[in-house]
Amino acid sequence: MMTVVFGIFLLTLLVITAVAIVKEENLFTSVMLTGIFSLLMAANFFILDAADVALTEAAIGAGISTVLLLGALALTPRFERKGRTGRWLALFVVSLTTLVVMYATFEKPRLGDPNAPVHQHVAPWYLEQTPLLIDIPNVVTAVLGSYRAYDTLGEVIVVLTAGIGVLFVLGLPGAVGDRKREDLATGRTYLSHHLVPQVVGRLLIPFILLFAFYVQFHGEYGPGGGFQAGAIFAAAIILYALIEGEREALTVITPRMLMWMMSGGALLYGGVGIVTMLLGGNFLEYSVLAANPVTGQQLGIIVIELGVGITVAGVLLAIFHAFAARGR
Amino acid sequence: MFLAASVAILVTMVLALARALMGPSVYDRVLAVNMLGTKTVLFLAVVAFLYERPDFLDLALAYALINFIGVLAVLQFFENRHSGDASKEPEKPKAGEA
Repeated sequence: MMTVVFGIFLLTLLVITAVAIVKEENLFTSVMLTGIFSLLMAANFFILDAADVALTEAAIGAGISTVLLLGALALTPRFERKGRTGRWLALFVVSLTTLVVMYATFEKPRLGDPNAPVHQHVAPWYLEQTPLLIDIPNVVTAVLGSYRAYDTLGEVIVVLTAGIGVLFVLGLPGAVGDRKREDLATGRTYLSHHLVPQVVGRLLIPFILLFAFYVQFHGEYGPGGGFQAGAIFAAAIILYALIEGEREALTVITPRMLMWMMSGGALLYGGVGIVTMLLGGNFLEYSVLAANPVTGQQLGIIVIELGVGITVAGVLLAIFHAFAARGR
Repeated sequence: MFLAASVAILVTMVLALARALMGPSVYDRVLAVNMLGTKTVLFLAVVAFLYERPDFLDLALAYALINFIGVLAVLQFFENRHSGDASKEPEKPKAGEA
């Protein structure tokens, strides 16, 4: 009951924010409102008990997407261009789609209905078998890492492809395109002239990195995993770039190393699959990795989560640097 | 008790959202987003106890650590803008810029 009230309340705020984002013509305001949208969405996921998703939304939405959108905005005009053509058609299409989707929700089972298909089909099997087959408390990690390992591999490849696409368009000095790393403006950024952000930032960076590793390696026990950890790790390096300057950040993790991280994580993931095949199992069947099948499963999940984290961190950082290098 | 606290936080979130939507200056919006971020951290923390899942506090921690970065990026963005072209900002009253 409480969940429903909270949910309706937060979703109403979400709709108001979404309409405001569409109506707003100052793009900077839109970016700020997008941040609010993400915060409300994460609160929504949280009250529905989806802690892993909420943590992803927190890691991506709160810090990184704002930074990336601002980076993109630095390259574009500040105001939306007036375009009057086809507005009514667009409104018609959107309204029609909304009506169809709303009609479809009438068929949906109620929130928390025990007879809903999702509670009847594979979910009970996952909940029953996870302690026996994999023996980790967080079933979400078991589903992502082991039962649905093919899907997760696909997601990692999608993230890698997105990163390649952005670098293809924008380039990354020192790795992609013919600009050298030395082309980047040296020296101090605006924020490094301000004592408070600098001191606080320097204090926070080690803790953010530590938290990223905690989320990475604690994903089997609590909310978290490779995607969230990669985003938090990237956030820490972005913070470093903001207070110390682009070039310093690219000296810590060089563009070439970013390329290796992007592809290396995906290769690590795929490599686990090849190793399991060589050991006589199916692709990504972790049970053959150790003498005890349960230990093998746990080992496999840890290694592939690491691959996911490395790729996500590499891609996010590469995209950030690509935008920031263009902005100068 | 946790319920009352979470309802109070939700009301504060509405107020911050109203400020973010109304503006009028860009800095009002930045402040509103920051405020809403803080409220979300609090909301997650209180609801974690309300649901008796204190291990979900990890999320509030992640927010508290990362929210800061977005605000710094906004500051940096404005500084770069001002050194470039500060003239194209009709929405912002000049008096409130400092």
